[in-house]
Amino acid sequence: MTNELPVKDEVFPKDTSKSYAIVEMVRGDSPMVGKGPDDTVFSFPIVLLWEILLLLGVTLAIFLFSLAKQAPLDAIANPQITTDPAKAPWYFVGLQELLEHMHPTLAGIVIPGVLVGFLMSIPYLDNSREFAGVWFSSKRGKRIVVWTAVYTVIAMVAFIAFDNAFSIRETLRGVAPPWVAQWVIPGLILAVIVLLPVVILWRKKGSARDIMIALFTVMIVSAVVLTISGFLFRGPGFEMYWPWQMPDGYNPWDEL
Amino acid sequence: MAQSKLVKGLTHSRVWRSLFRHGWPDNPLDRSLTMTSNIFFHLHPVKVSRKSLRWQYSFGLGVVATILYGVLIFTGVLLMFYYVPSVERAYPSMKEIQLSVPLGQFTRNMHRWAAHGMVLVVILHMVRVFYTGAYKPPRQFNWVIGVILLLFTLGASFTGYLLPWDQLSFWAITVGTNIASYAPGAGPVMREILLGGTEVGQDTLIRFYTLHIALLPLSLALVVSLHLWRVRKDGGLAATEVPDGEG
Repeated sequence: MTNELPVKDEVFPKDTSKSYAIVEMVRGDSPMVGKGPDDTVFSFPIVLLWEILLLLGVTLAIFLFSLAKQAPLDAIANPQITTDPAKAPWYFVGLQELLEHMHPTLAGIVIPGVLVGFLMSIPYLDNSREFAGVWFSSKRGKRIVVWTAVYTVIAMVAFIAFDNAFSIRETLRGVAPPWVAQWVIPGLILAVIVLLPVVILWRKKGSARDIMIALFTVMIVSAVVLTISGFLFRGPGFEMYWPWQMPDGYNPWDEL
Repeated sequence: MAQSKLVKGLTHSRVWRSLFRHGWPDNPLDRSLTMTSNIFFHLHPVKVSRKSLRWQYSFGLGVVATILYGVLIFTGVLLMFYYVPSVERAYPSMKEIQLSVPLGQFTRNMHRWAAHGMVLVVILHMVRVFYTGAYKPPRQFNWVIGVILLLFTLGASFTGYLLPWDQLSFWAITVGTNIASYAPGAGPVMREILLGGTEVGQDTLIRFYTLHIALLPLSLALVVSLHLWRVRKDGGLAATEVPDGEG
């Protein structure tokens, strides 16, 4: 915080017969006693104008989008006829994708539970005050984000593609008990994917913030990869297809 | 600034002065009073740091999420005038909204796209807050409140998803709630509480409807108030903590 005063080099001699004196003069239009220049603006009208502008912009965007694309309405609900594929809304389709690769309790309960727990405990795991309010904290933080993101895309795509080609569940059927194929192996693969960047940062003496950045990036990028895979690459029977080779004219965008 | 006689007459009238208990906001005192004496504005501080207003810092995502919430309340109430949450009438009332209610299809479109938009924007807001380190002391608990708001937003969207009562919504909710049943021990019971039965039916529809139009929007409004209040108590956005010349 700089403490340069707008009015400088003026000396106000203390009058010996008075118990008070002018200490300094500050040019400004608000009470600034004991404070340096604070680089603030009045909320009225600047913040309100910004908000009105955003309000108009957002509403206009939704207006135009609503003119261009209709909300879907399928045939009336029929509990007797299952739609194919039956997909969860897009924000849960990542979980649905995960369900394909492991035991449903692991994919549907344990992992989401761990994620919510992790999210809520971030501020208590990293309680430093350093670099609050700075994007990616530092150049080092930015590098961690980029490398972790690239790594996670490769690792998660490889995991989905590998398990899709050589289903771990089917390959190990009869060879190992189901809890190995559906809990231990997929759990271990995910644990290694998540913990590898943490171990690397640990060895490089990374701060708690560095490790949080890596973990959060792994989480968010994995969620994006799983969601894209579940939303765009899964067709009838929740089978894997290229988006441009979807059978039966299935188009996931029609069901948004 | 010279004001015309008309403006002066208006702003000095007894009615005007009973409504706005401050003078014309062209000086620091009246600009402060404009904010503090208005219930809608007083969520804002009187003065804000230039750093926190930088567009590339926050992208205004929190404000956009709040705006989308407003759009959803507005269009949602309009839809409520016509929608009937019963298995027999839900789908026909959707058809009616789309085919015979003036601007019905358009209102529904706005509601749906704003809903998807809100989920997306809330997630992006969380990503922004994380990468700017804005969860650090003293803002730790406000981050936790934010995570709760994300869960409420997902809940509000998910419960609304069932209401059209078409194949799409029916099977999406069936798939989505099946996940709950995989919880060890309590899973099937949890699913039954959520659905009001073992299958998606009338009891589910009325449960999801009540959650969607009353409980979740009210909870969101309450917790968002807490969220914004804490932002102010913590001294505004974390951007203000960056020393000058950095960031």
